[in-house]
Amino acid sequence: MRAWLSPRAWGRRIARLWRSSLQLRTIVMTVGLAAVAALSIGSAIAVSVSGSLFDARRDQVLTFSTNATVAAQRVFDSTPGEDAEIDSILNEVIRTIQTAVATPEGTAYAIQLAPGEPPSGFSANANSPGLDLDAVVSPELRQSLVDEAEDRVNWQSIGLRRADGGVSPGIVTASPLAIHGARYALYLIYDIRDAQETLGVVQLALSVGGLALVVLIGAITWVVVRLVIGPVHRAAVTSQRLAAGELDVRLPVHGDDVLATLARSFNGMAASLRGQIKELAELSTVQQRFVSDVSHELRTPLTTIRLAGDLLYDRRESFDAETGRTVELLHTQVQRFEGLLADLLEMSRFDAGAAEMELEPVNAVRLAEQVMGAMASLAAEKGSELVLIAPGGFAEAELDPRRIRRILTNLLGNAIDHGEGRRIEVWVDSDADAVALAVRDYGIGIAAEQLDRVFDRFWRADPSRQRTTGGSGLGLAISLEDAALHGGWLEAWSAPGEGSCFRLTLPRRQGETLSASPLSLPPVAEVEPEYVHSTETAPAKEPA
Amino acid sequence: MSARILVVDDDLALAEMIGIVLRSEGFEPFFCGDGGQAIAEFRSVRPDLVLLDLMLPGMDGVEVCARLREETGTPIIMLTAKSDTVDVVGGLEAGADDYIVKPFNPKELVARIRTRLRPSQPAAGDLVRIGDLVLDVAGHEVRRGEERIALTPLEFELLLALALKPEQVFTREMLLEQVWGYQYKADTRLVNVHVQRLRAKIEEDPDNPRLVTTVRGIGYRAGG
Repeated sequence: MRAWLSPRAWGRRIARLWRSSLQLRTIVMTVGLAAVAALSIGSAIAVSVSGSLFDARRDQVLTFSTNATVAAQRVFDSTPGEDAEIDSILNEVIRTIQTAVATPEGTAYAIQLAPGEPPSGFSANANSPGLDLDAVVSPELRQSLVDEAEDRVNWQSIGLRRADGGVSPGIVTASPLAIHGARYALYLIYDIRDAQETLGVVQLALSVGGLALVVLIGAITWVVVRLVIGPVHRAAVTSQRLAAGELDVRLPVHGDDVLATLARSFNGMAASLRGQIKELAELSTVQQRFVSDVSHELRTPLTTIRLAGDLLYDRRESFDAETGRTVELLHTQVQRFEGLLADLLEMSRFDAGAAEMELEPVNAVRLAEQVMGAMASLAAEKGSELVLIAPGGFAEAELDPRRIRRILTNLLGNAIDHGEGRRIEVWVDSDADAVALAVRDYGIGIAAEQLDRVFDRFWRADPSRQRTTGGSGLGLAISLEDAALHGGWLEAWSAPGEGSCFRLTLPRRQGETLSASPLSLPPVAEVEPEYVHSTETAPAKEPA
Repeated sequence: MSARILVVDDDLALAEMIGIVLRSEGFEPFFCGDGGQAIAEFRSVRPDLVLLDLMLPGMDGVEVCARLREETGTPIIMLTAKSDTVDVVGGLEAGADDYIVKPFNPKELVARIRTRLRPSQPAAGDLVRIGDLVLDVAGHEVRRGEERIALTPLEFELLLALALKPEQVFTREMLLEQVWGYQYKADTRLVNVHVQRLRAKIEEDPDNPRLVTTVRGIGYRAGG
């Protein structure tokens, strides 16, 4: 059996619907209560009607029986007591009775010697054809004629077996007849099926009416609930859309009731929210544009300075020592300024969401080798040895090589700056989903409270420290953005005195989510790494 | 005779500095600070190369570029502060041969200019055929039958590079190195835009090229 078909699943589904839908709860409860009320009232009416109907029929039947008894008695009394003529007398009596008790369903009759009466010389016993008297007349009724001396009519409710096998309600009456001195009983059996049918019609009308009432109440409840809950539900949906960023959604305001007040306050809130967000967005756009424009505007004069500086720098040999040094400083600082400007512009691109990736299949180990090769001379100046440890990472990953190269250059530059001339390791490893690059130095390290801030813009670990790579202070911030653009992580670890490690983890295919990094932080060699080379033993090639 | 270079830039200091650099390298610079007068200045100076700033008063640099291209194949190098905007593509589509992003250094500028001014490499034969076109290498001319097709020097070199090795597929990087003189990876938009411009001139149906065809995922080659 499919899960959604199992009773338990259905139960859960209904329970959830019950909890979540105020409409359902209200309608079900109202309809339930209305049904109980309709049922009680209907039953009371049905009982009362059936009682009245029966009483009316019984009274009518008793009148019939009384009349028939009187008429029959008169016939017997007016005829001579000749036993020989009893049959013809009986026939006349029966005619008389039948005239007196004519009912639509027909009435059976029986005349019998009363119980306990000694048989007389003649028999006046007679009954309707096919009548099984014992089946319809109970001993109690027979006995009642004996017990009560008066000439009254006794009656009893019975069920009449019909020819088609059904049972109709009936009334049997018993009244005494004195026939030529002998006590006889006149039994009249009435079929009151028509009363039963009338009752049925009434009950049907009551049921249909009750059901219609319940349905009507349900419908009315539904309409009322919709009128009240509809706006509330709309408000809920609208606030969800507002929360999702559709700042232009509003609630319709009708009339002056509490729902209209709700709608008005909601709309006021939405308008104020949109105003503030718009203001912030505009402010942010203006600020980003400003940074971008400033960066661009600075470029033209910077170009002039650069051209002038380079021209002088090329001729520095012809100047005296002091002027020559000045020209050198001018040259390097203009370069630094240029780098800063480029970083600033790159940052404004990230802020504006305008950064785009150019993805290529990249071999992370080769890329690391290239960057290490480019940085080798700088590392050598500081006395640091660059070591590549690559247990994996040879398979190609889908990356933007320019950005990854920039991250790695930046991390290596920092490591060389803060590495105290000790060895610097570049780790590369990969698994099925991710490729990781880590740069580990054994320098002074970063204090824990400062480690959280290393990715902040223009933040420096130690403002007084001399910098050789001429960083802008935006390097790690840009690296973090580059990593984020790939859907990757850039994380830092450090212990004062033991050095630092920056680990970059990137998904091997774009659009996939990272769950774990192939390298630990800081990386630890589990076994002797297979692929290790250092700048001393195997100088990395210049990038192609 | 030294090459004449028209510098169209409204920043007087930068124009003068570029002039100093150019003169020191043996070029003869001329200056124009207004886009509206650039065409007239071009006609009177008849330069061998134009350095064109994209942001100009009077007339937009892209517009100037398009107007110049209507009457001349003279190499045009754009100077731009924004490498990532539509301006660069607009300038290339308007016919600029190359662009330099500010700030640039003197060596870069001179290298770009020399690449565009260098005489075409002498080819194996004087006449090279590609499809129904005949390239006259010495005369820098392209003919289809008797009809002469006007190509800029850059477009001619691009077509010649492809036509000389019809069996070879050229990557965009190879073309950047061979035609534009870039040693390292540069903007491949240069190649894409100029191949489009070349096709518009030489192909019967530029949307369905037969002479310069695209090799998906690799680059371009001559013929099918």
